[in-house]
Amino acid sequence: MSSPLGSRLLAGSLLIASTLAVAGEVQPPKVLSRVEAQVPVGAAAPEAGHVLLEFTINTDGKAVDITVIESAGTAWDDASKTALSQWVFRPALHEGVAIESRTRLSFSMPATTEADGVSDAGPALSETIDVDAGTGSVGGIVAEEIDAGHPTHEMSTVVIGRSSPRQLGTSDFRFDLGEQRVVPRKNAAELLKLAPGILLTNEGGEGHPQRIFLRGFDAREGQDLELSIDGTPINDSGNLHGNGFADTNFLIPELVESFRVVEGPFDPRQGNYAVAGSADYQMGLEQRGVTVKGTFGTFNSQRLVLLWGPNKQSNHTYAGVQLGRSDGFGQNRGAQSARAMLQYEGTLSEATTFRIAANAYASQFKTAGVVRQDDFANGRIGFSDTYDTRQGGDVQRFSLSGDLHNHEGNFTNHHQLFVTYRSSRLLENFTGFITDTQQPQQTPHDQRGDLVDRDITALTLGAKGYGRYRARVLNRPQELEVGYSARFDITGGQQQRILAGPDTNTPYRKDLDLDSKLSDLGLYADGNLSLLDWLVLRGGVRADLFTYSVQNNCAVQSVRRPSATNPPGDQSCLSQRDFGVYREPTERVSATGTALMPRVNLLVGPFKSVTFSASYGRGVRSIDPQFVNQNRDTPFASIQAWEGGASYSNRLRDGTLDVSGRAVVFGTRVDKDLIFSETIGRNVLGGATTRLGGLLQGRVLGSFFDVAAHATYVTSRFDDTGLLVPYVPDLVTRADAAFFGNLPFELFASPLRASAGIGTTFVGRRALPLGQRSDVIFVTDVNAELSWRFVTLGIGATNLFNTQYRESEFNYTADFRTTAPYPTLVPGRLFTAGAPREVFFTVAFNVGGAS
Amino acid sequence: MNRLIVLPLLLAFTSCVQSTGGQLVEFSATASGPEDAVAGQPYTFTTAAGYSVTLTVAKLFVGAVYLNQSNPANYTGETACILPGIYSGEVKGSLLVDALDPRPQAFDVKGVGTDAPTLAGELWLTAGDVNANDEHTEVLSVKGTATKNGTSWPFAASFTIGSNRRAPASDALPGSNPLCKQRIVSPIATSLTLAQGGTLNLRVRPKKWFESVDFSQLAPSPNAPGHFVFTDGQSSLQPDVALYEGFRANSGPYDFFFSPGH
Repeated sequence: MSSPLGSRLLAGSLLIASTLAVAGEVQPPKVLSRVEAQVPVGAAAPEAGHVLLEFTINTDGKAVDITVIESAGTAWDDASKTALSQWVFRPALHEGVAIESRTRLSFSMPATTEADGVSDAGPALSETIDVDAGTGSVGGIVAEEIDAGHPTHEMSTVVIGRSSPRQLGTSDFRFDLGEQRVVPRKNAAELLKLAPGILLTNEGGEGHPQRIFLRGFDAREGQDLELSIDGTPINDSGNLHGNGFADTNFLIPELVESFRVVEGPFDPRQGNYAVAGSADYQMGLEQRGVTVKGTFGTFNSQRLVLLWGPNKQSNHTYAGVQLGRSDGFGQNRGAQSARAMLQYEGTLSEATTFRIAANAYASQFKTAGVVRQDDFANGRIGFSDTYDTRQGGDVQRFSLSGDLHNHEGNFTNHHQLFVTYRSSRLLENFTGFITDTQQPQQTPHDQRGDLVDRDITALTLGAKGYGRYRARVLNRPQELEVGYSARFDITGGQQQRILAGPDTNTPYRKDLDLDSKLSDLGLYADGNLSLLDWLVLRGGVRADLFTYSVQNNCAVQSVRRPSATNPPGDQSCLSQRDFGVYREPTERVSATGTALMPRVNLLVGPFKSVTFSASYGRGVRSIDPQFVNQNRDTPFASIQAWEGGASYSNRLRDGTLDVSGRAVVFGTRVDKDLIFSETIGRNVLGGATTRLGGLLQGRVLGSFFDVAAHATYVTSRFDDTGLLVPYVPDLVTRADAAFFGNLPFELFASPLRASAGIGTTFVGRRALPLGQRSDVIFVTDVNAELSWRFVTLGIGATNLFNTQYRESEFNYTADFRTTAPYPTLVPGRLFTAGAPREVFFTVAFNVGGAS
Repeated sequence: MNRLIVLPLLLAFTSCVQSTGGQLVEFSATASGPEDAVAGQPYTFTTAAGYSVTLTVAKLFVGAVYLNQSNPANYTGETACILPGIYSGEVKGSLLVDALDPRPQAFDVKGVGTDAPTLAGELWLTAGDVNANDEHTEVLSVKGTATKNGTSWPFAASFTIGSNRRAPASDALPGSNPLCKQRIVSPIATSLTLAQGGTLNLRVRPKKWFESVDFSQLAPSPNAPGHFVFTDGQSSLQPDVALYEGFRANSGPYDFFFSPGH
């Protein structure tokens, strides 16, 4: 029988986590709670007077990767490690942001000749607890105060993580997933739902990127949201599907360690597409060793994940592979995909780390597309059926990136290179038989179908970096960061229309054929001006230069007076001017534009745990290459945003309860908004719009639960008419709750750990064109897992209540020839079906590692 | 006190337009003959060419009615059969209109549309696909007698629009005159706004069909001596061309009216 032993720290355990962090230096970690060590039963006397451990305190405040530097014997070493692994720390802070740190701690061993051990660190720093009576005269193991400095083992804290940018205004949301992983999420994009105001829909099928709505913006597949992975951009410039198109499906969700969402263009680091905001995924793998995870579910869905986190390596060194397939929940919804993600993080010196990452992704998927409400109501088509089984697509994406991070003295430097190759094909039919109007030079024809076949190939080369300098001015820590970003995109895209008919793959018309060379060079300066203890001004200015060189290979598509002797007929790309005068069918245009964007955040923290903030920023979205005109200023979309908010963050009950909450009011104006066009199946430039809204967000994290919830209400209106912007939701709420802990009994002397998660989304009735409102969305997902030793079993369900809901709803003209012979030419309600209940089982094995 | 401040703000906020603008509407649709006709009685009128015409049968087959927010007559370029503007209404149900009966004759389906202003209408004179070659529904059936200077021409016409009406096309612009253009009477200028529960009425004025017809050039009927017939197909005879163009004219024979519902 072992004895409960231990010690307590006397002070400094309570963390008052203010969101207003002004210090520029590294703040060492602090112990928040400690667990008593157990004297090993039957162990021989310790071989030394102490056990010296070196370990990493991760950003969750846990001690991981514990190694013994000086041993007192295996049993005593293990007892010390076991105790330490249950300690809770406030992680080290670098510029106010939690970072990983590597540190040492020694445990004093009891002297068998002493009745009670006495810490050699002194009673003021640690306290010895009496030995259990049953152990006789064995003294207690005493942990020394981490900050005290051991007389013989000097404490040192080495920053091994990387700092994140400083907290900006109240709408700077950062999420360490932690126990929230248990809440079911089908892909990495769904993680974003933890951020207030984000709604994800998907009318394109499982392999299709999510359509993102944020704070009254219809960001489509990322056009209005700057997405990145560890700083490497995800948005595609020049993508015909939408400039800024972003597909996050290449991410393996288990490898997402945390993410940051900045809602609004308030950070000078935010570049192109940061209209509604930006989101950056930070990748990492806490569970070391080899993990094999299989998921099997309804509709023959199968997912196999293989993860490897080498021991003794950083959490940012990992390898992961995911294979998946599914038949989908209705007609034409099958998908299969494979993805691989590798990253190595190494050190060049104590101050310099580097990372090399490689990602690969391939997917093929089918798409059901839209269904007319009247066809569904009249039984002409099923809720989850399709009009056109040829819809779908395939995607390939390969990327390589590397970075160098140096933090030395008052300087921090970071430089990053990346190259990405993407290829995708999307076939979508939003309108059926509407757009193929007879042109005079064409052979007479009926409507041949509106299936769009869009193929894009893109190569991106880029670099990003910054240098940050800290200094004490006016006896206060100040800092200045200067950064750059550069990317060059070579893109080629074609859009064709495919002849209607089962399994037909014959193009009958070419809409677009563009080869583009695009560049975006950005510079920014970002300052952190600490004016008073409770007053900080953060922000700066960003400037971007965009250049376009676009060759339109199908520049002329109609001619009013064609050659009588050599008419162009049904050709799409014509080489004639009026009366048959020859011209090349191609045409090149080039243009340049610049954008200057000030961004400023004022943070006021007059009270402990409470911060008020006010932010203003301007952002930019470059335009589609197809809209560029020769020698004219590139008509960017310009965004102005403001917000005011208050945040509260506190750690209570001896550090076992984190409570945080935020309230924000915000406004945004865009001079050229993006509005969905069904005829070409994507967003096109519209008029100016303005948004006004507010949000509430809260999170409570305890020893056995993690509950987060938020609600956002926003109205989006056109400036000229005051009418609502269609499709964007005005009310989005989300609640995520995770519960976890060991069960009160053990199995074969090993604890059973249980966790359960539930996530609920409620979206109000969205405004649709022509004064219509959509249905509400109310979906609940659940999951439960049980872990024992190296095995984890799980069962979960998405859409638990099997609600029949419409994920997307539209009002536009579409004719799928269900009411022949007369076409439907007036707008009507269409929808894409939401997924019914899906049940899935998970089994996972982990060997050779510890988290 | 706080409530006194919050309440007006709340009212002001909620009083903003909470709509994207416009409405989808459903309406009834009817067609009727001229106001001066008497149901069950022949209808007599005098044409611009000086003929006194008495119609005993005048039936028009309307396959569908479409309404558009734009009037492409204002456009300079050629337009396709589907107008370039935004459609504001449609009645996708056929009706054989008795053009001698001034009473409303209801289409068998409801119309749907939007409350956007309508500037043009279309009549689709087909029972099948608007481009089908082999569609031969009788879209016009008339019988009557034309009289001028004491001479009478008992006549009949039965028009179909199919391959028999395909217009010649040039090599350079083979698609400039597709069959659908023969079958669609468009654009019929109008000015109305649809509303939920209202009734769209198509007024048919058969007099306008015959306005330019010179009955004296009609071909005798091979089956009924003393009677004359209009040729159903390609013909260069003035009456054949004039009636075919007349009943497909977008100005004169047809008018749209809308009565808001209650």
